Amino acid sequence: MHHVVLDRWSRGNSPVHRRDPRAKILALAVFLIAVATAHRALLLLAPGLLLLLAATLIWARLPLAGVLARAAVVVPFAGVFALISGLAGDPARGLSLMAKSYLSALAVLVVGATTPLPALLRGFEMTGVPRFLLIVGQFLYRYLFVISEEAQHMRKAAAARGAAARDWMARDLRFRAAAGALGVLFARSHARAEDIHRAMLSRGFVGHFQPLEPIRFRRSDAAFAVLASLAPILVRIAVERAAR
Amino acid sequence: MYTVHIPDGFLSTPVWVSLDAAAAPAVAWMSRRAQRGFDQAQAPLLGVMGAFVFAAQMVNFPVGAGTTGHLLGGALLAMTLGPVSASVVMTGILAIQALVFQDGGLLALGANVVNMAVLGVLAGYLPYALWGGTRWRKVSIFAGGALSVLVSAVLALSELLFSGVRMPASVLSVSLVLFLVSAVLEGAITLAVLESLERLQPRLVRQPEAGGSRAVGVVAVVAVLLASVGVLFASSAPDAIQQITHQSAAGTGTWLSKSGAGLAGIALIYGACLAIGRVASRNRSA
Repeated sequence: MHHVVLDRWSRGNSPVHRRDPRAKILALAVFLIAVATAHRALLLLAPGLLLLLAATLIWARLPLAGVLARAAVVVPFAGVFALISGLAGDPARGLSLMAKSYLSALAVLVVGATTPLPALLRGFEMTGVPRFLLIVGQFLYRYLFVISEEAQHMRKAAAARGAAARDWMARDLRFRAAAGALGVLFARSHARAEDIHRAMLSRGFVGHFQPLEPIRFRRSDAAFAVLASLAPILVRIAVERAAR
Repeated sequence: MYTVHIPDGFLSTPVWVSLDAAAAPAVAWMSRRAQRGFDQAQAPLLGVMGAFVFAAQMVNFPVGAGTTGHLLGGALLAMTLGPVSASVVMTGILAIQALVFQDGGLLALGANVVNMAVLGVLAGYLPYALWGGTRWRKVSIFAGGALSVLVSAVLALSELLFSGVRMPASVLSVSLVLFLVSAVLEGAITLAVLESLERLQPRLVRQPEAGGSRAVGVVAVVAVLLASVGVLFASSAPDAIQQITHQSAAGTGTWLSKSGAGLAGIALIYGACLAIGRVASRNRSA
């Protein structure tokens, strides 16, 4: 499955990986806002910001091409809208949609590829996001692969029993078979959640996760936060000055 | 078969700022409510059910003409876990999709949460809460699934239009037809899955509380529809809105007038919701 690659990237060891998640969240927020509110000289600004992200990726020792390609998942969606904008007589907006959505997705990906998800969610918790929601998010991510695999097994089993031979089976019947499979998957997931909870209680779960080691905001994190937040702002100011 | 997770870069600043501002307190309140609702078992349960919704995308439902669709899940979760827990699960899904899968933006997360996790789930639960206990049960389940998709999709579309994304009328009508097809499909899937679940494990399906005020519900359904349709109509003529603000605030920049128009529109909707809520609560206490 392709998401495993993000887990592998995020467990690397580089100066960017080692930074406090809060510093990266702050820098990400500044970057996203700088992109979202930009209006002028996008044709110059977008390459500038792209270079900034690429430099971060090289600094983090991540495969440049791989990350750039992964961020391109937004391109089909943005492309459709860019095309529609172009047809509606506003090609400039179409171009800006493409550039902005790609840069934003890439920025989120850079943070996700340099921070393991548990650490990232912990960073969000310390910036004020409700803890319960983040615990739900942790469980969601952890069991995503387990339940997906279960769904795949069920699909394989159904195919083995002849579900793949679609022609002889009425659509109505296939619809019902799919609904039955989902009902079973639902009931199994529910039962699994109860088992998980019992197992966690027996291991001393108190309703939230205890971090093994406290995250400390060091001086290097502060320096990173300041520099990484200033960088997109400075790039934008420089580009907009130059374009004037 | 057709979801709209708005990426970053699509919404204009006033739109994403105000939707983030609307989503943040709603999410905080929901997480508190969902946590209090049961015991600690809620956290693993909601997480695993979120994983279920993800995995459910792998189970294809035949639509016809070679295409397939899949469950989106907001209404189904509301009818099994309750609307508040369902909203928390959907919020978690949207957050993981934005952070891990680059599906939907981070600044636009507030917009996606409002569309799908808050209003979509509530709209999906409404018919079930009202008529789930009557002989219209099946219809209410179908309507819930359909309504949740329709409300989320139309809200997303109108936010995009409000942000100034131009769409020719033909594209607009095609996407509305697609929304309708997706809505009908989601209704049918929700009904079929809920029925199969009821045969397997009836205790997992939440029974709607009897005695809910019918009038309030009707007002709420009508409000949801009116809000969606009204927003769509208002924003399908963004030029008119811009013209009005240009005339009223001549001399100021277009950015300011656009954001003014956006904020004014949202304030109008907010005021309408508030007034409807007032009336509804007065009806209940009377």
